[in-house]
Amino acid sequence: MSHVRLDALSKVYGSNAPAVDDLTLTVERGEFLALLGPSGCGKTTTLRMIAGLVPPTGGTITVGGADVTSLPPYRRNMGLVFQNYALFPHMSVADNIAFGLEMRNLPRSEQTSRIAEALAMVRLEGYEKRRPRELSGGQQQRVALARALVIRPDVLLLDECLSNLDAKLREQMRIEIREIQRRLGITAIFVTHDQVEALTMCDRVALMDRGRLAQVGTPEDVYERPANRFVANFVGRINVMRGEANGASLAVAGAPVAVANAPRTQGTVDVMVRPHRMTIRPEDVAAAAGENRVSGTIGRIVYIGDVIQVAVDTPAGPLVAERTTTGPDWHTLAVGQRVAVAWSAADTLVFPPEAR
Amino acid sequence: MKPTGPVLRLVVALVYGFILIPIVIVLAVSFSADNYIVFPPSGWSLRWYGTLLATPTLFEAFRVSVMLAALVTVLALACGMPAAFLIARHRFRGRDALFGFFTAPLLLPTLVLALALLLAFHPWGLAATVPGLVLAHLTVTLPFVIRILTTAFANLTPDVEDAAATLGARPFTVFRRVTLPLVVPGLIAATALAFLLSFDETVISLFISGPRLQTLPVAVYHYVERRTDPAIAALSALMITGSIAIVVLVERMVGLMRAVGR
Amino acid sequence: MSLLRRPGMLWLALPATAVLLFTYVAPMFGLARMSFNRTLPGGAMQPDWTLATYAEMAADSFNLELTLNSIQLSFTATTFALLLAYPVSLFLFRTESRFRSLLAIIAIGPLLVNGVVRVFGWIAVLGDRGLVNSALLALGLVSEPVRLIYNWTGVTIGLTESLLPYMVLALLAGFGRLDREVEAAAMSLGARPWRVFVRVTLPLSLPAIVLGWLICFILAMSAFVTPKLLGGGRVFVLATQVFEEAVDTVNWPLAAALSVYMLVLLLLFLGAYGALTRRVER
Ligand SMILES: Nc1ncnc2c1ncn2[C@@H]1O[C@H](COP(=O)(O)OP(=O)(O)OP(=O)(O)O)[C@@H](O)[C@H]1O
Ligand SMILES: [Mg+2]
Repeated sequence: MSHVRLDALSKVYGSNAPAVDDLTLTVERGEFLALLGPSGCGKTTTLRMIAGLVPPTGGTITVGGADVTSLPPYRRNMGLVFQNYALFPHMSVADNIAFGLEMRNLPRSEQTSRIAEALAMVRLEGYEKRRPRELSGGQQQRVALARALVIRPDVLLLDECLSNLDAKLREQMRIEIREIQRRLGITAIFVTHDQVEALTMCDRVALMDRGRLAQVGTPEDVYERPANRFVANFVGRINVMRGEANGASLAVAGAPVAVANAPRTQGTVDVMVRPHRMTIRPEDVAAAAGENRVSGTIGRIVYIGDVIQVAVDTPAGPLVAERTTTGPDWHTLAVGQRVAVAWSAADTLVFPPEAR
Repeated sequence: MKPTGPVLRLVVALVYGFILIPIVIVLAVSFSADNYIVFPPSGWSLRWYGTLLATPTLFEAFRVSVMLAALVTVLALACGMPAAFLIARHRFRGRDALFGFFTAPLLLPTLVLALALLLAFHPWGLAATVPGLVLAHLTVTLPFVIRILTTAFANLTPDVEDAAATLGARPFTVFRRVTLPLVVPGLIAATALAFLLSFDETVISLFISGPRLQTLPVAVYHYVERRTDPAIAALSALMITGSIAIVVLVERMVGLMRAVGR
Repeated sequence: MSLLRRPGMLWLALPATAVLLFTYVAPMFGLARMSFNRTLPGGAMQPDWTLATYAEMAADSFNLELTLNSIQLSFTATTFALLLAYPVSLFLFRTESRFRSLLAIIAIGPLLVNGVVRVFGWIAVLGDRGLVNSALLALGLVSEPVRLIYNWTGVTIGLTESLLPYMVLALLAGFGRLDREVEAAAMSLGARPWRVFVRVTLPLSLPAIVLGWLICFILAMSAFVTPKLLGGGRVFVLATQVFEEAVDTVNWPLAAALSVYMLVLLLLFLGAYGALTRRVER
């Protein structure tokens, strides 16, 4: 049975468009779920509804089989880590961590041992007496994490808590958080607008678009099998071509294109292919069976270290292909050269264009 | 790049001289042995402090002023704190209007306010009474307290309170353990300034008080109006010392400039 | 927090609202009402709805003189206060000195010292046998004391000092827009300190100057203790006249009418000033 369950959850602020709209989602016990989406799509609102800080305007929230929708935050036992950490500025690190234990009237001796345990877990031993303003951003973040974890919450909720850190520290904290979460076996929901963070840290990713759920699945699911145009666009880079569908057959720039699972639609569609699934071939070599290809001129080559990006101007529009720099032969490519861009039927995604 | 150049420093030093001179001279003259205000005095003595002790009207006025300031401070905080909390922490229609209503007396010329209070309080039998003076002083101290405390409450990020709630604190506990400690600097500043404001209030008191009920500034005003001798310098020195003591105390505790919101 | 954010907490404003309704809303209406009452020849006051008091006020040319005196005094003192407060505020805004907060407190010090006490201090400094005259006589620069108090000079000096802290606070608040980085940028582009001041610092602090000047002018127009005590009965402005009519002559309708006139004058001034600055900013 799932641990956290959101059922048709909605939030409308005043008379605005809904911030969260009919959201249904389950999180398994011990699972690490990412809530991913562009700014303003309702991630924080969802998280705060789970924590009990924002009352939903519709739907229910169930934790461990119990309906908590109308419980106040102080009865929910959720560990929330805020984007700006929200440490109590007038309390020491130890007092910050002790706060939740005090609220639970734990005996002093147990408080002391649990604080020590929590500090060890986030590797901040010896910082007990510091005030939050005497800590670096990363240290504050770890105190916030310790404060949320020390109460042994049912669910750990993290709101973009890595976005204030520098790239190096962020990477390190990703690993640490994941490691702690695994060790404690705690259910966690992690809000982020950083897709790399979501894909690399989490068991499953829930994508949100303007308050609605766009897709839930493993990182591989959302990357390889995006459910719709929004997901395909938001996760990873992708080439978009305009196509004409006619029943089972599809054409781009007048040429037929093979698709593994062709949608049975009619009219204009968007045909999408990831850059690293496109290869550059000499123009005069014949196409392999089931391979889609389009010819063009190299317009730009961008060197990014482990890969190069080759932008090719084709009748289907500008396309970007990515290839590794492992072999030496990539040097043979040059701007202005005529080449063919090829990709397989299996890597071709087709979506009806966005309804406007 | 140096933040301040020599020219700026010199000019600033001169202005500070201008600000400090009357205060320093008053302190010096209070130890004068002369019968008139002469500077430099021909000799030094403590006789004017003795004269002060032997002047019961000034003593009585001092007592009235302290009592009044204490009462006004307590009432201003009691009425001002909930109002400031409401304005800083709640969204409701007419919030700005309410804040405007509360702070409008700070924009009105004190003289006009004082006359209005006299005209209103006289028929109500409140002129030259303690309740009348308390209410009159509240007219300026209450708006002031509301303004300082609104800033103090507004500077608090609600996230910190939310964090406490998710950790299991009930609303009243959140207020007691998180909100209140964080606004203490503002509270201390508001208390001190309300006390000083009431203690030093002159114009409104001049209109409202009568011969039988005088505050210290009113008594000093009438004294200076009639004659000037070093006794008033001695009294002024004491008042200045009192103000400095309060300011230093507040500065030590919270940092006055920060609490005022600059 | 659910409880504290719940609507229907308007009762929190009740005590303050009740007090202020009683202590300034009702009295201000009463003041306006009083100005329409009639003063009988004996000096007694009779409730009425008449403009007689205003007519009397307008007919008295002394009131015009008072108005001009008030404006001139306020203008001079406010301008002096600005000239003195600007460098101090700039210094306080920029300094990294350990004594910054001490210096800031001294700058707003006059605010914390009773007005009557400050006046007394100026008497000790500027009086016939005060510091300045003693020095001038000792240096042989003058043969008899120069009159520095109980005239416009003394009142202007005293008023300037009492406006200083307000000006400093207003300027400091407005200096928020002033960015050291912008000044540094100007300097890196080759501007010498003086040019940086004229081209960057001053324009950026203009809104603060405007605000500070306005606040202080209004305070100066209604200042009463300083003109009364340092003027020694020889300096007449609107504020002293209101006190005179209210407390000495006990002609309340006239005092009220003068107050209303003063308020209207300030409002007109505010409007004109607002229109002027809007035009300048364009
Ligand atoms: N208290 C509020 N009152 C009114 N509207 C709000 C409130 N909080 C959020 N919203 C609106 O609800 C929508 C969703 O906001 P939310 O904070 O949940 O977005 P988010 O996905 O967390 O975005 P970000 O990545 O920028 O943090 C936004 O359009 C926002 O403007
Ligand atoms: Mg957010």
